[in-house]
Amino acid sequence: MLQRATWILMMVLFSGSALRAQSNVPIISGGVQFLSSTNGGVTTFQPLIAPVVAIPIGERWLVESRATFDEFIFRENGTSGPYHALTFSSMDYLQLDFLANRHVTITLGQFLTPFGIYNERVSPVWIRNIADPPLIAGIGTRTSGSSDGGMLRGVAIEKKDWQLQYTAYFAARSGTRQFNSGRTAGARVGVFVPGPRLEVGFSYQRFLQDLHLNSWGTYVVWQPSGAPLDVRAEYAHSRGGQGYWLEGAYRFSRSRDDSSWLGRLQAIGRVQQFYLGTPSPNDVLPGADTQQVELGLNYYLPHNVRLNASGGRQFSSLGNSNVWNLQITYRFLFPLIPGSAR
Amino acid sequence: MNFRFPLSLILVGSCVVAITPAAQNPPAQQKSGVAAKAAAKKAPNESAEGEKRFETHCGRCHVPPEALSPREVKAVLRHMRVRANLTEEDQRLILKYLAP
Repeated sequence: MLQRATWILMMVLFSGSALRAQSNVPIISGGVQFLSSTNGGVTTFQPLIAPVVAIPIGERWLVESRATFDEFIFRENGTSGPYHALTFSSMDYLQLDFLANRHVTITLGQFLTPFGIYNERVSPVWIRNIADPPLIAGIGTRTSGSSDGGMLRGVAIEKKDWQLQYTAYFAARSGTRQFNSGRTAGARVGVFVPGPRLEVGFSYQRFLQDLHLNSWGTYVVWQPSGAPLDVRAEYAHSRGGQGYWLEGAYRFSRSRDDSSWLGRLQAIGRVQQFYLGTPSPNDVLPGADTQQVELGLNYYLPHNVRLNASGGRQFSSLGNSNVWNLQITYRFLFPLIPGSAR
Repeated sequence: MNFRFPLSLILVGSCVVAITPAAQNPPAQQKSGVAAKAAAKKAPNESAEGEKRFETHCGRCHVPPEALSPREVKAVLRHMRVRANLTEEDQRLILKYLAP
C-alpha cells in the first residue's frame, strides 16, 4: 500500500509543468533527528526522518502528507552484546484539503486524529520539547493516532478578541498496514484569545468498533506575550484510565531571535500522572498508576538545529526508573521541485 | 554488501550533502526573517498587522523561517491554514509580512 501511495504521489509530483506554472510551489519540509534514550539503564539510539510534503493545487486545494522513517538501534542483551537495528516506516497522514470558505475546510483521506493537542500539534519531532510522549497519549488516538475518513475544521466564529475553532470527523476501520485506523467519530472545540495567547479546548471521541468506548479530554495552551513562557497542559479520560500532563518552557530571552548564548537556551519541565482504569485490549497506556517528572534544556543553534537534553524519573508500582534523553533535531524546508521557488 | 543500519547511513549521507555549500539556496533566493522585517517597514499597515498575527499564531511554535521565497511562503501558509486553523485574513496578512 505504501508503494501504491508513493506511486500516486510521484505521479502528482512529476506532472512538473503544471506544478511549475502555478503561483504556489510544492514544498518538502519536516525534521531529521538523532535520539539517544536511556530508560532504566538500557540505552537505545533512534535516527529518524519525518518528511512533510505539501502540494497546493489552484487556489483552494492542498494535498499534504507526512511519513516517518526511523531506526531502533539496541544491544542484544540490553546493556551488552552486539548492536542490532530494526527499521520502521509509517504514513502519518495523507490528506486532501479543500478550503471551502472562510469558516470551513474539508479534509478527506488519512489525517492525524484531532484529540487534545499532543497528537496533532505537539508530536512532530521539531516541536516537542521532551522526546517521550505523555503517558496519556494513547487516550483518544487509538488505534494508530491516524484516522481514515473525512473531517471538517476551521474557525466558526472570528471576533477581534477571540476565536471559536472546531474540528469534527468520522473515520472508518482500516487494517491496511500503512493506513491503519479505527472506526471513530469525534470533535474538538477550542476558544483562542489572541491577546494573552490563551487557548482552552475540549475533545470528545466515540470509538465505534469492537468495544464502544468514550474518550474525552480538555487542554489549555498559554504563551503570554509579555514573557518567553510556554505553558501546555492536557487532561484525558477513558475507560482504560485517566491522567494529565503539564509542561512549562521558559526561554532565557524575551525575543526568539536573540542570538546570545543565553538567549538560545530554554528550560523545560513536565509533570504527569496516570491513573489506571479498566484496561481494554489494544490500550496503549501504562499498566499501573504512574507518575513521572522530567526536566530538560533546549539549545537553539542557527539554521533550525536544536539540541535537547532531558532527564526524569518515573514512579510506578511496576518499578521505578530513570529516563534520560539526548537529541539533536534539524528542521528543513525546500521546494519539492528544484528551481521552482524562483 | 549488507548494511546493518541503513537509515543511519542515509541520514548521515543526507547531512553531509545538506551542509555542502552547493546544496544551499542561492543568496538571491533567501528571504530571511530579518529581511522580512525590513521589508515590512515599507508597507507598515498590513505588514505590521501580519507580523502581529505571525507572533500571535505561528510564533507559538516557531520563529520566522530563515530562507523562503514568496512562492514557498504561499505554500507554507496554505499548509498552516489547515494545520493551525489560520483564518483567511490571517493567511493574507502573514503573507504580506513574510513575502511583501
